[in-house]
Amino acid sequence: MTKSIISCGVYLPYLRIKRDEYLSALGRCSAGMREKTVLDIDEDVITMAVEASRVALAGIDVSRVGVVTVASTGFPYQEKAQAGTLVEALGLEKNVLTAQHSNSTVSGTESLLTALSLLDQTEQPYALVVVSDAPVSGPDVDLEHGFGAAACAFVLAKDEPGLVFEGVYAQSGEAMGLRYRLPGETDIRDIGVKTFAMLDYNETVKGAVTGLANKLGRNLTDYRHVVLHQADAKSATALAKKMGCTDEQIKEGVVYPYTGDTGACSSLLGLCRVLESACAGDCILISSHGSGSGSQALSFCLETPVPKSVVFEAVLGYKRYISYIQYLKQKRSI
Amino acid sequence: MSAHISIPMYQRAVPQRYRLTGKLCKSCGKINFPPKAVCKYCLQGASFEDVRLSGRGAVYSYTVIAGGGAPPEFETEARCKGSYPVLIVELEEGPRVITQMVNPPEEGIAIGMSVQAVFRKIYEEEGVIRYGFKFSPA
Ligand SMILES: [Zn+2]
Repeated sequence: MTKSIISCGVYLPYLRIKRDEYLSALGRCSAGMREKTVLDIDEDVITMAVEASRVALAGIDVSRVGVVTVASTGFPYQEKAQAGTLVEALGLEKNVLTAQHSNSTVSGTESLLTALSLLDQTEQPYALVVVSDAPVSGPDVDLEHGFGAAACAFVLAKDEPGLVFEGVYAQSGEAMGLRYRLPGETDIRDIGVKTFAMLDYNETVKGAVTGLANKLGRNLTDYRHVVLHQADAKSATALAKKMGCTDEQIKEGVVYPYTGDTGACSSLLGLCRVLESACAGDCILISSHGSGSGSQALSFCLETPVPKSVVFEAVLGYKRYISYIQYLKQKRSI
Repeated sequence: MSAHISIPMYQRAVPQRYRLTGKLCKSCGKINFPPKAVCKYCLQGASFEDVRLSGRGAVYSYTVIAGGGAPPEFETEARCKGSYPVLIVELEEGPRVITQMVNPPEEGIAIGMSVQAVFRKIYEEEGVIRYGFKFSPA
């Protein structure tokens, strides 16, 4: 049986803040995006998840969805079966198999892998994967400057033409003090040593990506697009180049400059973007990363182009800029 | 002024609040939204079929609620935004609903403009998030 992504949906909040706003308000910005997405006061990861799912499910018979997996590093409740909210909002059958992944930015690809496995446990042909994230920290924390918000959703199908899943390779190991959050706290922190964080990112992601290529008997040059996790402006591109990728392979999957750090969504959001221009026969590799740390590299090959229900550029273009003061109000910091 | 709605009561309305489930009257064929015990159009139909509304509609009327005029459950939102627009939307299936508007266009709201239901937090009480629909420009 083949399993493929047959449609996808992206949701970005309407509100944006430019990096320049940080510069004029604080005199500096520790993140390298051009602008980033900002949750409105009545939005959270669940509302974004519903919107992205509605786009992905357009034209699909929702009664045939047998699996829902959902991922975020910051669900609105620490305990609650939140897939149930999606089931109601989307009108899915109440007997869907659900799974929630959290606690790390690697949870996005985890939820996709879980959905692929759970498809074997249902008679239904479709699974919905929703990844929605909006990392949070205090305005005085450097990490916070880059934090954006986004959601993406995918419909997976058994034996239907689309973006065929080919395989996965993972890396895991102990990495202390890099981006963590304690129970009861809303703010993410780290020990603030960038070179240490970079070293871990490079090692973990590279291990997953090269491991996957070896496992599938491929070279990285065989991939039309290589999309790596983007927690900052430079690391993903620098690592991909170090591994021998060309600009052509990298550039379309880079979304950080427009959204900021979208946590668990990162490489999956890049996947949605490259899918729009991908042609039959193109292979795509994505790799997630979560501090602590872990990385999962996934390989896909496009059998039939995935229909565009919403154009990514249009989603990027639908926006309103806010000031830094308004931004603090949105975050309820003032 | 507070429009307190208990959790069980809110919960019963989840299909209509989360996914705009209306009731099609089997006597006259009109759609009741929000659902009614007896059809508000023919005043006799009491047997209905669930239908999911498209969420598409047009602005029938609107007003802007100033920050100070907001009921307590919308106070945080009013404080953040200063004021917020409220619409009466005529849905393409016929019913009219009262709703908040998100992402209002900078050039202003116009009667007849196309709008689309979106899923948002309506308010939070006792740490319980009440989700539901608002409308955005389509
Ligand atoms: Zn009637």
